[in-house]
Amino acid sequence: MSEQQGNTNDQWKAPSGRRTDEWSECLTLIAANEDRAAFTRLFRHFAPLIKAFALSGSNLSATVADELVQEVMLKVWQKAGAFNPEKAAASTWVYTIARNCRTDMFRRLQKFDTPIAADDVCPEQEGEEPFSQLQSRRNRERVREMMKELPADQAQILAKVYMEGKSHAEAAGELDLPLGTVKSRVRLALQKLQIQMESYSYG
Amino acid sequence: MAKFHPELDLLTEYAAGSLSLAQAACVAAHMNYCEQCRRTAGQLEDLGATLFDSLQPETVGDVQLNAVLARLDDLPPLSYTKVEQPLAGQTPALLQRLMRGNFADLAWKKITKTLSISYLSTGDPGYEFALYHIKAGGKIPEHTHRGSEMTLVLEGGFSDANGSYHQGDFLFREPSDVHAPTALQSEDCICLAVLDAPLKFTSWKHRWMNPFLSLRAG
Ligand SMILES: [Zn+2]
Repeated sequence: MSEQQGNTNDQWKAPSGRRTDEWSECLTLIAANEDRAAFTRLFRHFAPLIKAFALSGSNLSATVADELVQEVMLKVWQKAGAFNPEKAAASTWVYTIARNCRTDMFRRLQKFDTPIAADDVCPEQEGEEPFSQLQSRRNRERVREMMKELPADQAQILAKVYMEGKSHAEAAGELDLPLGTVKSRVRLALQKLQIQMESYSYG
Repeated sequence: MAKFHPELDLLTEYAAGSLSLAQAACVAAHMNYCEQCRRTAGQLEDLGATLFDSLQPETVGDVQLNAVLARLDDLPPLSYTKVEQPLAGQTPALLQRLMRGNFADLAWKKITKTLSISYLSTGDPGYEFALYHIKAGGKIPEHTHRGSEMTLVLEGGFSDANGSYHQGDFLFREPSDVHAPTALQSEDCICLAVLDAPLKFTSWKHRWMNPFLSLRAG
């Protein structure tokens, strides 16, 4: 261990890329000792975001949004053992659980009868290699910085697509724009945020 | 290694959770074969998390917290569950589950001498989710689509005017793209096809089949 060598502002310890931020620590504590104090800290941070996520662009009642908050936080507790701080960022992990629970909830509300749960199709990120988490963290910092410079119309589309969970076609309908315009705004936004396929051969 | 991938906008919808269930299942099945797309989806999920982190928080009271804490008592003790990493070359686990067996155990409906179709049920009312079995060297009659078609090669391979496709390759056809895929000579080809409207055969010889190919969604 060489924590003291590190810059105190730097939450990273090279070279393992291990993450020591508060939220992954909480998840690790829950997994190790069913630590309720750690869970409470996580809840106070994430529950208000999950509720905002549930309500964004939807006509869910506050009661249903609160149910979603409970469901997501229970899943976080149950799945904490599968969270790997070496490989995934805590907030991405919580976000994917929230996204999947919301998808399942929408399907339930629409009486959609399926043997497939959202996390069968979109499992939580596991990461591919030891450095992917470091990469992921850098990506996120870069994205956060560059997000501020995104033109309003592109930022609006990203919010619709991600936070409201609207397909490109639904976003086009709601904004009264041609589908091609929505797609190109998403594409331009991703370009500015430098998110792209590596060695892309054909689409 | 897959050479043909979903485009970035499909992956974005996948990562944002807005892709329909049947289409998301097909993209997920491609990722079983493709690390590149898994990574790209990871980046796109990181973007989602960044947007999530910057939402304006809503008020959640202690009543909620206490309700959740009380419910923790009813849960079984935590057990470590490892997410299964996909095995190279293996039929994606989700498909195996929907198939409830091997390709040979499925009920195949014979469409032509070389083409059989087996429908799987995803519960998605908007899309047909089916396996296509094309005999080695066999041709699927030239057809267009009234809607979109996603294809993922599971076994063997096929070619059309644009190229040849092997295990893990993913294709997305827009309505009105005409193509006539032919299975490779060396082995039978099995593909997953996700359609939002039935195929429409263009050649007069096969036109009589159109009524039989009404969409079997669900
Ligand atoms: Zn791919």
